Amino acid sequence: MNENTPVLEIKDLSVSYQTATGSVEAVRSVDLTLYPEEIIGLVGESGSGKSTMAFAVMRLLKGDAMVTGGSIKVLGKDIYSLNNKELKEFRWDQLAMVFQSAMSALNPVMTVEKQIFDTILSHRPQMSRQELQQRAEELLDMVRIDRKHLKSYPHELSGGMRQRIVIAIAIALHPKIVIMDEPTTALDVVVQRSILDQIKEIQKTEKFSILFISHDFSLVAEMASRVAIMYAGRIVEMTDSRTLMLGEKHHPYTDGLLRAIPQLTAENVVIEGIAGNPPDLRSLPSGCSFHPRCNLAMDQCKIQVPVPHAQSIGFIECHLYSEEGSHV
Amino acid sequence: MSDSEALVKVDNLVVRFPINDNRHRAYIRPVDQVSFEIKAGEVLALVGESGSGKSTIGKALLRILEPSEGTIVVGDKDITHIRRRELVEYRKLAQMIFQDPFGSLNPVKTIEQHLAFPIRKHRLVSSDSTSKLINELLERVGLTPVEETRLKFPHELSGGQRQRVAIARALAVNPKFLVADEPISMLDVSIRAGILRLMTQLREDFNLAFLYITHDLASARYFGNRIMVLYGGRIMETATSSDLIRKPLHPYTRLLLAATPGSSVKGALPETSNKPPNLMEGRTGCPFADRCPHVASVCREQVPELLEFSPGHMVACHFTNQLA
Repeated sequence: MNENTPVLEIKDLSVSYQTATGSVEAVRSVDLTLYPEEIIGLVGESGSGKSTMAFAVMRLLKGDAMVTGGSIKVLGKDIYSLNNKELKEFRWDQLAMVFQSAMSALNPVMTVEKQIFDTILSHRPQMSRQELQQRAEELLDMVRIDRKHLKSYPHELSGGMRQRIVIAIAIALHPKIVIMDEPTTALDVVVQRSILDQIKEIQKTEKFSILFISHDFSLVAEMASRVAIMYAGRIVEMTDSRTLMLGEKHHPYTDGLLRAIPQLTAENVVIEGIAGNPPDLRSLPSGCSFHPRCNLAMDQCKIQVPVPHAQSIGFIECHLYSEEGSHV
Repeated sequence: MSDSEALVKVDNLVVRFPINDNRHRAYIRPVDQVSFEIKAGEVLALVGESGSGKSTIGKALLRILEPSEGTIVVGDKDITHIRRRELVEYRKLAQMIFQDPFGSLNPVKTIEQHLAFPIRKHRLVSSDSTSKLINELLERVGLTPVEETRLKFPHELSGGQRQRVAIARALAVNPKFLVADEPISMLDVSIRAGILRLMTQLREDFNLAFLYITHDLASARYFGNRIMVLYGGRIMETATSSDLIRKPLHPYTRLLLAATPGSSVKGALPETSNKPPNLMEGRTGCPFADRCPHVASVCREQVPELLEFSPGHMVACHFTNQLA
């Protein structure tokens, strides 16, 4: 595959939840492209649709949620056109996911070894016991856990070790894409940092792409090359992680978020939150869905839905930039 | 009491819990000989990883837990072992804000009922004025329009609004001292700043003292006048917020700072292992010795004392002078 063929291509994706009071659109016509060996950060508050999008990509939406429009292509294949058998083979082999809660991602009554073996065997049934053992040991070395823990049960491991095991299982079959949904949110900062460093290291040697979902800007800026900011089901800005600081050109929501976090090193900072609360998806505001909370809102914002305007890197979906950037 | 005098004085606080270790009764010490003071109107940020004992200290200060050793003096009263009436009386002076605003409010009670309870319980005002006081409290924490909010149930409010209710409830008794245990860690990023600003405002308006428990150094620096770093139940370092961030002396503080997202430290973390600290009673030496890159034999044998390095900057490390 050549460098510029995307491994993941999301086009015009919409996802809705059917509720008693009608359908709620959690993801609204989103486009996103992930290239080989790239790390994209996806940032947003709870309810912004970032996890829903990840589940749609994994084709894991259940119950009341369904894709209502658009397409998702993984390695050039539309994953919603695969039949069950193909999907089963495809998932985890090419496309894996690391969930937020390591305790619920692991089976509490199975040893670590058994869980790694099961994952591999379901895709490579011909693999010998010896090969399995070797691969499991390799994986544990990769996430820097002592091999003796192959015989451990999840409850015998600390939170950080469990999350490392989950990562090891995710990369067991050499996937091309790994989706990480808040992989370190429940962990202490020191553990978080060492796991992130390891993820970056493994990503370099194993050469996969990562869609990294988080609510923490400073963390995403360190991990990802490009960052997508999501609000009320839309990606409102796509930018380079190096420009992710105050003073650069940003969507007012991005600026608001940047101003909302106290900086560790800045002197005498004044932080201000964003007024109001994230919108109720059942009754989105007219026009730009951010306008009731935006301190730069103009009359136009209440009426007209903004379109993405291209910037030097990425785009911003805001009327403020309609003059300069051309429509994407 | 003058402002320069300490409102909260904690001396040699120890909390021990029994555990079953191979059917033998053993004890762990999540809080081990901790001493500190908080002045009226001062915010002391208590920083540490999970299991470091920070929430246990908060609970001991509110006397949700009874300390095993040491003394806690709040105002001019020793509250270490008080019971019943005295304890109820103490809760007028000190209150707590919990981490989870979804768990700390009763789902079948309205906001009005939540606020009326402490007011009636402590017979703070005549029953006619209760309603007026509730309105004042809700306005104070920015939950307007008041008339609407009063009748709502917790599920009708967002996380940030719920946390404001919890703060209003704590304020209802007109306390002098609040323990805030990770009050923003479960809230959305855009909401956190609002709560931090509200607490800063309340500190100024009521001259409230805070013990702000957090794992996030950035918010500790923003809200705290001083920061106290805890590891394995012991204080590693205390200093004014800007001193601690700019001139960290203890190896553990340096590790924490290096690991915090947005820090300028790049490259490998300054630690030698990721073993959790030993909390068993009878352990010897510095709790951080197993992970410390500067470890020497003295560290495993002798507990380092918390000594003043420069005015207001205390460090518990055998090698403070070499590391500075």
